[in-house]
Order: sequence, then structure tokens, then C-alpha cells
Amino acid sequence: MAQLRLPKDSRVNPRGRVHRAAASSASTRTLRIYRFDPESAEGPRVDTFELDVSSCPMVLDALILIKGTLDSTLTFRRSCREGICGSCAMNINGLNRLACTTSMADLGGEIRIYPLPHMPVVKDLVPDLTQFYAQYALVEPWLKTRTPAPPDRERLQSKHEQERIDRPAACILCACCSTACPSYWWNGERFLGPAALLAAYRWIVDTRDEESGERLDQLEDPFRLYRCHTIMNCTDVCPKDLNPAKAIAEIKKMMVTRRY
Amino acid sequence: MSWRSALGRVEGHGSAKEGVSHWWVQRLTSVALIPLGCWFVIALLALPQLDYSTVAAWVRGGWTAPVLILFVIVGAWHSQLGVRVVVEDYVGDVGMKTLALALSSFAHIVLAAIGVFAVLRIALGSAA
Repeated sequence: MAQLRLPKDSRVNPRGRVHRAAASSASTRTLRIYRFDPESAEGPRVDTFELDVSSCPMVLDALILIKGTLDSTLTFRRSCREGICGSCAMNINGLNRLACTTSMADLGGEIRIYPLPHMPVVKDLVPDLTQFYAQYALVEPWLKTRTPAPPDRERLQSKHEQERIDRPAACILCACCSTACPSYWWNGERFLGPAALLAAYRWIVDTRDEESGERLDQLEDPFRLYRCHTIMNCTDVCPKDLNPAKAIAEIKKMMVTRRY
Repeated sequence: MSWRSALGRVEGHGSAKEGVSHWWVQRLTSVALIPLGCWFVIALLALPQLDYSTVAAWVRGGWTAPVLILFVIVGAWHSQLGVRVVVEDYVGDVGMKTLALALSSFAHIVLAAIGVFAVLRIALGSAA
């Protein structure tokens, strides 16, 4: 049956260490950040950081400042700092978002930062995304054709055909959507999750691809596809404003229409 | 701890190549239940009173019985499809899941049969 309580070693100690920057000012903010060190016998805890964030427009800036000045052991992924690599996805004030595109000014009061929900934690804010990437690989996200490519040019698409894949192809695989989905929490090993299904959709509707049927066959499964109950947390949290819920609904429609 | 690759784990036993019928019939039955449910509630509210003899007379009259049987069957069918989704969502253990799904199917068939039988018995029975 569903497990309603976390195992003992996963329960979070809400009163972890407190780190205060020396001088307090009007721009001092409090950040409460989930910490977990796999090499320590201590379970996860929430540390409190109080610091002047006047030089930090975005949450990622504050995390970098903490790592640089208060606690160098704070661990998180980051790379592009402009919302295109998807590395710094985390749960900020209860919503999955990118730390680099989340403005400090938009967050009131204490800022609570946790790793993406319901994933194994490698360390601090770094979740283990192995399964998430494997699910992406499962949908074989590359062009599959039998017709040889024209010898003198690329495979062509009309403007309208390209527009169908424009948005789905903009997914950065940050995992905000899949880890916000309750169905993915309960059945993550078998439900592919919104990100992988959005990627599948992107190739199914790509007019250059010639294996739409095989792709639909691969998805036709009570768990892989039909665990989606249109909760729409995925669309709600997508930092790129994509609509995985609609893509999944379109796949479900294609499953029906291909039978008639 | 398993040494199986991540891709092997998510591949599992492959796609079941089904699920579309379940999903589609669940939608069809839910749409069918809108007029059937409205009809049932409105027809009952329109009765002067809800004692046994008034309702039994209503069941015996006109086209009530066949529509009522349809309502029972579609309702039970839709409920069975819905309970199946809930079980698949929340029951992880394969044995428990199989047992729960089987019991739910049996229970829904039995309930539908009892419902149909009850309607027929009133509709075809004597007025007394």
C-alpha cells in the first residue's frame, strides 16, 4: 500500500545549523535550505542562512553567495544562469522552478529551498535524475526514418509543420514537471512522466519522422501513458511555459483516432 | 540494490499495448452518465413522494425500467473502470493489486446484476 510516512532516516530535522552573515541590514533575508550529506550519519536537516542579498537578484545568486561566504559545503547544480540548461531546478517556496530565473523580489518572507520532490537525493539540493534520463532515452528522442535523406539538402518541413514542434522541442529537461506530478511520485518507475511524454510527442508529430506508429505502440500502456490523470502540475510549474499536459492529451487522442 | 541498468529498469516488461480502450470507455461512460444521472435525479424529485409504492409505480411505468437498467449498467461499468485506476495508482504490491482488481471486478458485476434484477423484479412483478 501507499507509504504515508517517510522512512526514519529520511525524516527531515527542521532545526539544523544557523549561519548568520556578520552585519545585518535592510536587505537581509532568511533562506531555509534542505541539507543532506550521504557521508554523514546525520539524516537530512534544514539549515537557516541569514544574509544580505542586495547583490542577489535571483535565488541562484543567493545560493552562490552562501556557498562563497557562509558555507562552502552547500551543494547544488548550476551552469548557464539564464534558464536554458535546466541544471538549477529545485523546489523553492513549494514550487519546482529554476533558481536562476526565480527573482528574490518575487518571493515574500523566508525562502524555503528543497531538492526536486520525490527523487533520491545525492547531496543537499542535488537529486538523482538517473531514472528521469532513462525515461527520456526510452522514448528514443531522435529522428527515425526509412526514406533516405535527399542527397542535396536537409529533410524539409513547412513552416506550419515546424511550428507544431517548436514549443515541445524547447524543453530543457530540468525535471520540474515530472517531479511535480503526483502520478510520477506514486508510480515513477512505470509512468514515463510529463517530460518524457512531451519529448515523445515532439517526435510523434514531427512530420520528418516515419515511426509515429511504433512510438505510439511503445507508449500504449496503462502505466507508461495512462497514469496521467490531467492533474496539470506539469504545465503549472514548467519554467519554459510549455504545456506537457496538452501534449499528453494529444497523444491520448491519437491513440483513439488511430483505431477508427 | 540491483545492477540492472536504469534503461532496463524503466523498460521493464515493455509496453502492455493496451490501455486505450479502458481510457476511451471511461470517457464514453462518463459522458453517458450525464444525461442518465440528470434524468434519474430529476425523475425522482418529480415524484410526489418517495415511498416504496410511488417509486415502484414509477419503475413500472413507460420507459423507466429500460433506462434505469442502462443507468445501473453504465454506472457500474464506469465505477469499475474508475476503481481500477485508483487501485493501480495506490496499490504497489503485485499480489495485492491483482487481488484488489479481481475483487473489484467481481463486486461490480455482482452489484450490476443485483441492480438489474431489482429493476426487472419491480417492473415485471405484479402491481401489488
